[in-house]
Amino acid sequence: MTNSRPRIAYILDPRFPGGTSSAVAAELRAIHDMGRITIHAISSKMFKGQDLSPPLAEATAELGLNVIWDAPEIAADTVIVHNPSFLRFQDTLECRILARHLILVTHENFLRPGEVEGFDVAKCLDLFDQSSLALRKSLAPISSWNRETLTKWARMHPQTRDWDVLEDDWFNICDFEIKAPTQTPRDRRGRHSRPGFEKFPGLEQMDLCFPPHAERNVILGADSYLSEGLTREGWQMHAFRSIDVSDYFDMIDFMIYFTAPTWRESFGRVLAEGIAAGKLVISDAQTAKIFDGAVLSATPAEVDGLVAGFIADPQSYTDHVTRAQEALAQFSPDAFRAFYAATIAQDYSEAA
Amino acid sequence: MILLCSGQKNPRNFDAMILFATQLSQRGHRVAIDADFAPENLDRHQKYEVIPYLSASDALEFDHVCIIGAEAISSDVQILLRKFAHDADLPVTALGTFKSHHNAISAQNSLAYVLGREPRVIDLAQTHKRPLLEAPIAPLCALDLGQSETDEKDNLAKVLLYLPADALEDPQILPTLGMMDQMPGFDLNIVIAGEGKDRIRQSKFAHLSVFGYAEMSPLTLARMFDIAVFFGANIPGERMALLALCMMQSGKVVIDCTSGASFLATGAPALHGPEDMEGLNAFLQHSVLINRSEIGQVMAQNKWLEDFSIETIERQLDLTADTKPDVDATPKTVFFPTNGSGLGHAQRCAVVGEQMQIKPTFAAFPSCVDMLRGRGFACLPLIQRTDAHLEQYANDMVNYTRLRRLLGRGDTLVFDGGYVFDSAYRLIAELGLNGIWIRRGLWQKGQINPHALERETVFSKVIVPREAFDELNTTYSFGAHLHDVGPIVNTEKLDHDEIASLRLRLAAQMDVEFDQLIVTMLGGGVASDRAAQMQLLCNMAERRENCLHLIIAWPNAVIAPGLYGWKNTRVIQTQKAQAIAQAADLTISAVGYNSFHETLYNQIPTIFMPQAADYLDDQERRARAASERDLAATVLGTELMQLEREVTAFLDEGKADMIRTALAEIDLPELGNTSAARLIEGSAP
Repeated sequence: MTNSRPRIAYILDPRFPGGTSSAVAAELRAIHDMGRITIHAISSKMFKGQDLSPPLAEATAELGLNVIWDAPEIAADTVIVHNPSFLRFQDTLECRILARHLILVTHENFLRPGEVEGFDVAKCLDLFDQSSLALRKSLAPISSWNRETLTKWARMHPQTRDWDVLEDDWFNICDFEIKAPTQTPRDRRGRHSRPGFEKFPGLEQMDLCFPPHAERNVILGADSYLSEGLTREGWQMHAFRSIDVSDYFDMIDFMIYFTAPTWRESFGRVLAEGIAAGKLVISDAQTAKIFDGAVLSATPAEVDGLVAGFIADPQSYTDHVTRAQEALAQFSPDAFRAFYAATIAQDYSEAA
Repeated sequence: MILLCSGQKNPRNFDAMILFATQLSQRGHRVAIDADFAPENLDRHQKYEVIPYLSASDALEFDHVCIIGAEAISSDVQILLRKFAHDADLPVTALGTFKSHHNAISAQNSLAYVLGREPRVIDLAQTHKRPLLEAPIAPLCALDLGQSETDEKDNLAKVLLYLPADALEDPQILPTLGMMDQMPGFDLNIVIAGEGKDRIRQSKFAHLSVFGYAEMSPLTLARMFDIAVFFGANIPGERMALLALCMMQSGKVVIDCTSGASFLATGAPALHGPEDMEGLNAFLQHSVLINRSEIGQVMAQNKWLEDFSIETIERQLDLTADTKPDVDATPKTVFFPTNGSGLGHAQRCAVVGEQMQIKPTFAAFPSCVDMLRGRGFACLPLIQRTDAHLEQYANDMVNYTRLRRLLGRGDTLVFDGGYVFDSAYRLIAELGLNGIWIRRGLWQKGQINPHALERETVFSKVIVPREAFDELNTTYSFGAHLHDVGPIVNTEKLDHDEIASLRLRLAAQMDVEFDQLIVTMLGGGVASDRAAQMQLLCNMAERRENCLHLIIAWPNAVIAPGLYGWKNTRVIQTQKAQAIAQAADLTISAVGYNSFHETLYNQIPTIFMPQAADYLDDQERRARAASERDLAATVLGTELMQLEREVTAFLDEGKADMIRTALAEIDLPELGNTSAARLIEGSAP
């Protein structure tokens, strides 16, 4: 290790729950030796307190990284901001950023389906514009769909053209434990997600995905259904975090994951988790596309037929899940290191 | 039909839904409030105000969902709104006052997720650029409600003065208001928040006309009053803001006496009045009243009001105002008699109704419906109060909705009763009806209080049917709207032959030969238990030769089984009591207004037995006025031996004949039946 390694500063609100924090934690573990890393936490108005999300707390402790809260100035060769949308609730960013390359990793889609703005993107970008001095400013989409929303949004807002878009996706690292698929799949279906309304399609679609004739339908994260008092024959509804995810996976063979048609996952980490757990995962066409065939694409009306086909042909089930698990390698820590090295090295060599 | 929902399920948002529904309805739009948004523990006033709009969403056909208060949408509301997800063609519009672009995006996202499609989101901050309140939940629009209905109360300017509840902490406030209440030139009314109304009612200024903050719709208040005066530290909430806007737009006067000139600070067209209430009287007298209409006209033309035009909201919601006149535009007159323990109010109204050129419609309780229909009136049945209802006004709310469907602007509602129900009070005020109160007198001591009279303010006329004897006529309120008329009495007097024929028919129908006919009309025992007295009368009749004793009860009355065991006594349930009483040698009667006057005018020898209950008039005074003139006998319910003596005196000692003669000779006042009818028709001099 020498001081010639690039200085890399991470900026994030580390209190984010869920997948984003897990992705950032995995990223830190993957690249911690590739530069002189500092972690800057911003107390945005999005959250209260200073409790790091558990995956980030674990990763920073393990790597011996201090988290510096609300530094007035952040200077590094490369400054990486994870999920700039955390500024959506505020009008100022009390921090000066000096960098050769400022990268905003856009964990949230800029547009929802129907090309409706997902959050006040311009405000968040403006805050970074106003607070930073950088030779290059980039937006780093995390998936093909996320990229599509960025480019469409940018076309609609030409005033932000001084931000370029990185050529390769700043993907989520998926290093889940791989479990072999069952040899004898049964009609045991399930889905899991945070309980947010955006994560669920309409009830008519849910009924198509989880019909009463299925042997089992497990809905994990069904908080809103439970508080509404919804009843459905054959559904096992569980509140978010009320059961262990591994126990939930033990209950199902098919993971059927559709969201509200007005919202879409930007990466879909939850789907990768299902594949790694040895489940056959079915989702809508756009979400499935992120995973290059590892996730099967269907409409809710087609789900029943797909499930029946795989149960009738268990070998095809096993083959598909195995292939899907192999495909997850494209999101491995090694793949990320290669991508990261290329991106950072470019900055560093340009700087030199 | 537009269905209103709200971003939060709480009392404040629900009140905002009511305000918005009222505004849309005023413009002729069909509007409903989704009952899923009703919070628990609504107060009585809110229930009346919302009931014309409240509906379960699955019980309606609506073509548009409008969500107000969209700047903050709670997750329980998101769950509720999922029910609109299945109909992809149902337009959903969200109205909010958004603090930021992101706030608007969040609202759009929250709704889009649960609906599965995009709502239309309208930012009221863009519509109302200089709002009266910082972030009202309901859109507040300046509606032109027209000038106040001119009434007969001396043509005084009607002033509504808003006070915050804590204003009463100043010991000078109530005396100042009490003094202003006596000033000529204006009619003072107060609207006060919190417990203020109760505190005033418990003070020695209980006679002041006071409204609770949410007692009446702001649109109704704006229609009722000519001048609004606001005291306090700021603009007091959405209701008062809407009231002020509508008064300004309607060419009325708004006076800003708030400590920070809160209305004027927004640019609103208000007059700057004195913060010190003691200066208000002079300000009103010397600066406002002399120029009232000119001030109002100038206010209504102020450009500031354009920001609050409801046309803007209508355009945003794709609504077309329905300005078509009602198909059924002929003004109608509806009589609404209450019923205490009998049919008295309804019978009195029927007597007046029969004198009218165009037969009126009735809305009456079940016990009166047959009688009224039998006399040829159309009658809308109302619901009677029972202890089975959860709330004592539950029946009145149903009656309110029934009457609201029946009545429209320009109609006349004639109310006959002692206590003015919320339904009658609200309908007159809200629909701008011509309200007429037939209010007989002879109140008991405890009944003469400000509560009994506080609702008089909505009536354009109070018709007081006089008692036959002068000492029984007391005036409880004053003003040009008060009209005394002669006694209102049903006088279908039978001649000698008709009486003879009736007695023969009775003998045949009852299968009893009789020389003496006793008629007892002591009621069904609701107000006073008369079981012992009736048994005594049955017993006396039983001991007489050739005597028929008829106990007459109303068709719906409950009859004690013990009355059927006597040979000379028959119980009959009929509406023709007065005709039979005319055929009697002796009548024993309670002393309600109708029975008493029918007895006098039809010259029936009677022993009066007054009934006593809190809600009845002073029957004993009425009875004694007659017996002191030797026109009847008075026997109290406890005086059983006296009753026995009087029956003997009437039947065996010539007292009945003596009284019949005295009744034939006395000059009774001219009847008021026709005068009352002419007053209702508006053709009285």
